[in-house]
Amino acid sequence: MKKLIALVGLAGAACAAVAAPDNVPLDGRALFEEKCAMCHRDMGMGTGLLQRRMDANIARLENRTDLTSEFVVMAARIGIGNMPRIPRGEASDAELRAIGDYLADSATRAP
Amino acid sequence: MKLSLPPGVSAAAMSAAFTDFASVVGAQWVLATDEDRQTYTDHFALDESRHAPAGAVVPSSVDEVREVVRIANKHRIPLWPISRGKNFGYGGAAPRLKGSVVLDLSRMKKIEVDVENGTVLVEPGVGFYDLHDYLRKNNIPLWISVPGNSWGSVAGNALDRGVGYTSYGDHTSKVCGLEVVLPDGDLVRTGMGAMDGAPTWQLYRYGFGPAWDQMFVQSNFGVVTKLGLWLMPEPESVYAIDMELDKPEDLGWMVDVLAEFRRDGTLQQAPSIGNWLRAAAVLTKRSDWYDKPGLLPDSVINAIRQRFGIGWWSASLRLYGYRDVNRAYADVITKRISAAGKVEIKTKEWERGTPVPPDPFMGYPITFPLQNANWYGGRAAHVGFSPVLPPRGDLAMEQFRRTHAIYTRYGFDYHASFAMGERHLTNVNQVLFDKDSPEMVKQANAMFIELVDDATRHRYGEYRTHLDYMDLVASTYDFNDHALRRLNEKVKAALDPNGIIAPGKNGIWSPGYEGERA
Repeated sequence: MKKLIALVGLAGAACAAVAAPDNVPLDGRALFEEKCAMCHRDMGMGTGLLQRRMDANIARLENRTDLTSEFVVMAARIGIGNMPRIPRGEASDAELRAIGDYLADSATRAP
Repeated sequence: MKLSLPPGVSAAAMSAAFTDFASVVGAQWVLATDEDRQTYTDHFALDESRHAPAGAVVPSSVDEVREVVRIANKHRIPLWPISRGKNFGYGGAAPRLKGSVVLDLSRMKKIEVDVENGTVLVEPGVGFYDLHDYLRKNNIPLWISVPGNSWGSVAGNALDRGVGYTSYGDHTSKVCGLEVVLPDGDLVRTGMGAMDGAPTWQLYRYGFGPAWDQMFVQSNFGVVTKLGLWLMPEPESVYAIDMELDKPEDLGWMVDVLAEFRRDGTLQQAPSIGNWLRAAAVLTKRSDWYDKPGLLPDSVINAIRQRFGIGWWSASLRLYGYRDVNRAYADVITKRISAAGKVEIKTKEWERGTPVPPDPFMGYPITFPLQNANWYGGRAAHVGFSPVLPPRGDLAMEQFRRTHAIYTRYGFDYHASFAMGERHLTNVNQVLFDKDSPEMVKQANAMFIELVDDATRHRYGEYRTHLDYMDLVASTYDFNDHALRRLNEKVKAALDPNGIIAPGKNGIWSPGYEGERA
């Protein structure tokens, strides 16, 4: 635990409430930060568990280049291993799709 | 997951209720597909189907909550309110009663901070990350107390008597004022909030006459829509004393020393003395060390401890306040502990003005402790068994030995901690298991029931439990032939004659659900 804490810089999880009107495109990065970063950035349960079965460099979802939006949506709705299912009350279909698009499009993300 | 209906409710009535809910919250916020139902079950449960919901309704305001409650009364539909549904190990988002409709409050995310007085008023959807980030973003020098799983709701955690790491870690004791939708749709504010516009709602707990805050904690007497909470002013300094203890029997003297510091107020925070597996299960998994069934040999336990530098028990003390005062207290504490027994002590200090590290002892929210559920691999799961004891070393040692023997007999690795309250000791035991092993699931359930029975024989009651065991634990509170249950259910019948709000929560049922008590 101490080691985990020592490893980490501050995960930049400045979260704004995301409530965009229908005609404004959803911000996948902001939604990822609000709804996923607690587990899928540094120090998170998801990153920690993925590190147990893959290279530490790609345990962070934002470092992956092989994710598709469909896979992200499916994983969130049906859960994987320790990851519980994410209901639509927490992330709507449109929000989850925006998060999936953000993770699938590695080219637009800063390394 | 197919539609489940609560007792006495027809599919037509449920459908009519969903239509009425949609007229209030909008059709997109009534969630009743097979997939929706699956997402509101308890991912970590022994048997998810036991607590299958009929669907969920997701209001965005207190007015919508009141309307939803009125509609539920009209159609006799039981609601299961959740704040964010992250009460893992205790049921997650799932209802106690199969076929209930989850009342998901996670869209209600208002935060109002009183910077000068160090308080906050939160709606149920506000998570620990949300509140932490809000305070940091606005440069507000107040710290929150976070639990080991900070994914969840600030209000929801305090309402289930969750605990955190700092001196504000007994969360329910920091609650000051609630807003509650009653089962008939009426709206009440407790404490000073009962006076419209009072500036003291979050400052003085009791108001005038009876004080009701605790009535809505671990109960089903209303739906809390706002919760006031005191926050810690950023201290000048934090002094850390981290301790590793080498032997199982070191628990006894450590409990006695810490209990004294808690009683006399030297230590304001509630340190938790955790065994090697509490630390190890977060850092590694069993199959990396041992590939056979049955218990881990001591040689493997020693190898794990050596690899990660952890004691058989570990405990972390923290002092918050002025630097000179902290140092004086730390001197007293470390001398007394070192004189009492063999212990490895590491200390460090943080001072205001330097960066706040990402440390839960300093209010930084975390989720990594949930990694422990992956210890056995598979579809990992866990339930918590947490009896309350007097804060005495000999009793703690006896509790440890008996519980360890039961874990050993059932073939589970012992995972425990003893948290030092001001006048009590909470013995939190995690039962970790692999849900993909039916035999392990069966054994976990049998062991849990035996643990409750063992604690009850010593007259120790649990402070909190999973949906599956709410009736069992409630039945152990047995003074005068369960007089507390009679009181709870009289109050329930008076406030909620139709049994709408969270039937069965903490073993409290309404007329009409007689057959449902386990």
